[in-house]
Amino acid sequence: MEEELRVRLNDHQVSKVFPVKPKSTAKPVSKSETPESRYWSSFKNHSIPDLVSSVSALAFSPVHPHSLAVAHSATVSLFSSHSLSSSRRFSFRDVVSSVCFRSDGALFAACDLSGVVQVFDIKERMALRTLRSHSAPARFVKYPFQDKLHLVSAGDDGVVKYWDVAGATVISDLLGHKDYVRCGDCSPVNDSMLVTGSYDHTVKLWDTRVDKSKWIAEINHGLPVEDVVYLPSGGMIATAGGNTVKVWDLIGGGKMVCSMESHNKTVTSLCVGRMESAETRLVSVALDGYMKVFDYGRAKVTFSMRFPAPLMSLGLSPDGSTRVIGGSNGMVFAGKKKLRDVVGEKKSLSLWSVRSQVDETRRRALRPTYFRYFQRGQSEKPSEEDFLVKEKKGLKLTRHDKLLKKFRHKEALVSVLEEKKPANVVAVMEELVARRKLMKCVSNMEEGELGMLLGFLQRYCTVQRYSGLLMGLTKKVLETRAEDIKGKNEFTGLLRNLKREVNQEIRIQQSLLEIQGVIAPLMRIAGRS
Amino acid sequence: MIRGGRSYVTSPPSFSNDAKKLLVCTGNTVSVFSAATGLQITSLEGHTALVTTLIVVPASTPAQKILCYCWTASLDGTIRHWDFSGPELLKTIDAQLPIYSMVIPSLLSEPQQIDKRRELSGKLVAFVSVEDISVVNEGSKELRGHIRRFNLAKPRVPRGDTLKETAEPESIVISPSGEFFGIRHKCKIHIWDIPSGGSRHAVSRKMTLHHTKVINAFAFHPTERVIAAGDVTGRVLIWRGFGNRKLALGNQKKKVRATVDLDNAGVRGEDDTESCTTWHWHSAEVNVLNFSSDGAYLYSGGREGVLVVWQLDTGKKKFLPRIGSPLLYFMWSPDPTLSSVVCADNQIHLLKMPSMEILRTISGIKAPPSLPRMYEGLASTVAFDRSSGIAALCTENYCVQLYNLLNDRGISEIQVCERNHQPGDEITVVVTAVALSLDGSVMSTTEVKLPEDGIGGLVSLKFWVSEPDSKTFTLSTIVYEPHRDAGVSAIAFHPTRSMAVSTSFGGDFKIWVCNSDKNQTDKDSSWICHAVGSYKKKPMTAAAFSGDGTVLAVAAENVITLWNPDKNILLSVLGATLTPITKLCFAGKSEFLVAASHFPRPELSVWNTSKLSISWSYGLRVEAVTSAVDSSAFAVLAVIPKSFKTDKSKENIFRGRDGAILLFNGSDPKPVSIWTVIKAKGGSISFLGDKSQLRLAYVNGSREYVVFDPNSDESHERSAVDYDGLAGLEETGDAGYTSLYGQLPDYDKKRMEDVDSLATPFISSERPWETIFSGSTLNFPPLQKLCAEFFESLMEKRTAVVE
Repeated sequence: MEEELRVRLNDHQVSKVFPVKPKSTAKPVSKSETPESRYWSSFKNHSIPDLVSSVSALAFSPVHPHSLAVAHSATVSLFSSHSLSSSRRFSFRDVVSSVCFRSDGALFAACDLSGVVQVFDIKERMALRTLRSHSAPARFVKYPFQDKLHLVSAGDDGVVKYWDVAGATVISDLLGHKDYVRCGDCSPVNDSMLVTGSYDHTVKLWDTRVDKSKWIAEINHGLPVEDVVYLPSGGMIATAGGNTVKVWDLIGGGKMVCSMESHNKTVTSLCVGRMESAETRLVSVALDGYMKVFDYGRAKVTFSMRFPAPLMSLGLSPDGSTRVIGGSNGMVFAGKKKLRDVVGEKKSLSLWSVRSQVDETRRRALRPTYFRYFQRGQSEKPSEEDFLVKEKKGLKLTRHDKLLKKFRHKEALVSVLEEKKPANVVAVMEELVARRKLMKCVSNMEEGELGMLLGFLQRYCTVQRYSGLLMGLTKKVLETRAEDIKGKNEFTGLLRNLKREVNQEIRIQQSLLEIQGVIAPLMRIAGRS
Repeated sequence: MIRGGRSYVTSPPSFSNDAKKLLVCTGNTVSVFSAATGLQITSLEGHTALVTTLIVVPASTPAQKILCYCWTASLDGTIRHWDFSGPELLKTIDAQLPIYSMVIPSLLSEPQQIDKRRELSGKLVAFVSVEDISVVNEGSKELRGHIRRFNLAKPRVPRGDTLKETAEPESIVISPSGEFFGIRHKCKIHIWDIPSGGSRHAVSRKMTLHHTKVINAFAFHPTERVIAAGDVTGRVLIWRGFGNRKLALGNQKKKVRATVDLDNAGVRGEDDTESCTTWHWHSAEVNVLNFSSDGAYLYSGGREGVLVVWQLDTGKKKFLPRIGSPLLYFMWSPDPTLSSVVCADNQIHLLKMPSMEILRTISGIKAPPSLPRMYEGLASTVAFDRSSGIAALCTENYCVQLYNLLNDRGISEIQVCERNHQPGDEITVVVTAVALSLDGSVMSTTEVKLPEDGIGGLVSLKFWVSEPDSKTFTLSTIVYEPHRDAGVSAIAFHPTRSMAVSTSFGGDFKIWVCNSDKNQTDKDSSWICHAVGSYKKKPMTAAAFSGDGTVLAVAAENVITLWNPDKNILLSVLGATLTPITKLCFAGKSEFLVAASHFPRPELSVWNTSKLSISWSYGLRVEAVTSAVDSSAFAVLAVIPKSFKTDKSKENIFRGRDGAILLFNGSDPKPVSIWTVIKAKGGSISFLGDKSQLRLAYVNGSREYVVFDPNSDESHERSAVDYDGLAGLEETGDAGYTSLYGQLPDYDKKRMEDVDSLATPFISSERPWETIFSGSTLNFPPLQKLCAEFFESLMEKRTAVVE
């Protein structure tokens, strides 16, 4: 201990090498990286060609490989969720409003605005069944959770229909809504329970076993309901209407559990997402272009992401690897997570175990009494009881650092200008200022290098973080190298751009000053009261 | 009373014979350091002035290596012989003249013979360089430096025979073989040989080598007749085979010694040498030259801080670069793997030899940085941790040095600004201020990057948090341009909470808080701006928190504004002083606020914050203010104006001292005590410790310090390791009182003389007026009256403003 202390006391090196570092930037006060936000932002963007018109509905197949059905205008396109490439198209007579897969993923149902519900085999072009009964545009169609034989649909006629698919007949008409029915969901625990949401502000809970076509329970959302979704427990539902999302407890008699009002425009679609830790979150998209992740257990918005279009529909694949959002302008924002290939991992694991056995036998064999012990190479791994002598990590110097160390100032500046990292360039310039060599560097620059410098100045001299140094430098460069710059064709474009940038900055500053002039008296008054 | 911070680099250090100890001249004492740990073992005390020369008696046989004898010479005119293992003073020889340099050739040449001869004939010859103090006039052309020969074996040396007279005392260099010694004198080197043999009256013969530039340093080869000399331009000259004609051995030549040859001031080519070669690598003057002990290598170094090793036969070079400070001396030790190099920044580096790695460093307090103009008088380059007695001092190489004042030891250095300091370069980055929070857990520094041609200037403010185990600080927050492009004028910490305030010349102040208060994570705590305030856009020059932290006083040029630091509300404004305020300090927990200003008219004023009025003021130029935490006492370090010092009647009061520490209590304008000090300009004071053991620390302009108890009447108590010194620089100040108030009683005089030999520089340790006047109250007026009178005689008093 004493020895160690002594070493530390006298350890200080007289002088070290300090590589040029850019100024550190401010860190936000709150933590930007929570595990939650890391999960939700880790979907890697995949491009899907634009689909021209608004994407009205999205559905994932419940079975592997979770193919994706996208409803847009009078078409439903099937995408493979692996490559997100279009594999098949189904055309309709009118605009498709809703689409849903059967529990085995072999069939899907879709309804359009002509009021027709059609059932397709995903491998065939022609419709298997065409269910006609709605007198107005059909808006929602859904297979019950495990039931393969029935369908639920509803539409602008306000009637919820329970279909026998095989016979293409309506089993029961569930009457009660007084306005357009726009959405609904089937219970994940019971095949005969379903909820529907309507523009009459209510969400109604139905049981298809009850014959009398009367709802079991009713919830008033307070605004036209755009979407309703069962939470995985089956005892709670979430409703979206207006710019609020509300979570209700059905078992507890339809009490509101919590509500989320962080969207600015109408929430269009809801979906339940499953995180890696098997926790579930409510994901909502709205016309304001935001996707929000709502932790309904803690009543807190945990993640928020902005997209450049009003959002219409949302789908999350059941394995959590794909997130697809449809926009009103036909854009589909697809994101895929890198999933670890479980099977491959297993295989490699078995391989590993075999090899590690081999390794172990060999290691056991290596003793100082054997000849091979003395032939161990550089790649030999240290064993547990070996004492490791750690080598000092060398300082990695970049090219401009090495040049600065050799006092080749101009070359250092030119080399860092070539790298196109503005923070580094500014850091090197500051180091040159501290060495009193910046103006000498500028005056020694060749024509090409001067062009590079001017290009850099033109691009970054109005950036707030660098402007303190670069504005002054720009002026000096133009003053000292006036005769070199004047009348050269290659510089005229740069100078023109530079002038424009500066003028624009001056305008911005003036308008900011005006705003400040307006605000200052208000702040004064606010401070006084 | 603890003294310390003395310079380790006034004269070359020396290794003991077993290379386990390093002897260093530190002021009036010689300190012995352990080469293995770099810590001080003991010290040799006795000289009353600066020790200038230190010669360890070399061992010729391995058995003698345990012997620890040394000779020292000092400016007090004595030569002393020590056993430094003891330590024990063996012998004192009074030379009566200040000795600047001394060599004892016979120790080197044939030690065993010398021992014998010393016993037989009682002869031990030393050559000394002394200053003839009989020639007093400064301007006269008298030659004041003398080279003389003394016989140390005789108990008293009246006057040695003079070999040479120079304008200033020069240092003598001796060859390792003990055959020659020489001095440099402008562009010349004068060399004498030392007559061997027993002839008592043998006269040394002399020769001269010439150069066209002023020679800075030279060295003799250990075995051959080779001299190396370094000049001011950085050239190293090697003369081989010098003195074959003039200093040739043999008796017949001795008679032929021609005086004519000696004085022909000629060019280099005509000197008495076989050859002369020049090596040029150093860009600035060469200060260090030394041959290796086997004579194969030559070590040279100079202002640029690079130690160069020349292979003597081939001229090939090896370097130890980036030492970061001008080199002063290079010493090799009897142990071939160890040597030491002494730097101008008060550091002694021990080198592992063939590889020239720095093994460890004996570190004194480094010199203060030179500041740009606008920060002169405003910068606070010294901060104190009151509880642990640690001072944080800004240094030239962009570091803050932590130095323990209580045991006189450097703790660590914190690189504030990631740059390497190169001596001689233009100063472009300066650490302008350092401040420590009251508990010493947070440090704040400001640095200024000076612009080139008006572009690229940058001010940054940094907050550091201490690491609990090792006494160092890690960077917590950097604030670039805290007050836009204006410089930071002062930083002050809240006494209890993690809150700080920085003021700027740009007319605003900012309150910073540590946000670890909220989320309780110590690791990623950072400092953020809590509030900004300004008063009529006036430059803010000083700030202070009150003792309980509820009031923040900020000086806006010449008014004092009082703020609530939490809500950022202006509470009130104290009336205007005449000049801009540079220092603010609350007097402990009381309601009194001390303000100091010094340009253009110096003033010290004390304000009552409850009555919002001035209590009293003096026209004093104040360098530093400090207040005790618990009581209402405060102390100021005042610079005594020049007019007072030159005044004939008061001349003997100050005796070259230029400052005074005045201790006040609350609102009382009469100081409780006064101590006069030297080098007050750029100095700093602070109270240390708490109420139970209150001490006052004073660090002067050249960073020597003293820690003492302001309330004790005892003559000074000494700490376990003894640290006194400086007595050559500071003298006792009691003479001022005798001159003012007449003859002192006899008993006291005697005591003063006793203590004088023990070197007591401060009158504080004696406080003569209390002891003097305690007995005979009939003859003398009461103490308070005397004190006030004395104080009034020092400075003009201003009438208090009554509202």
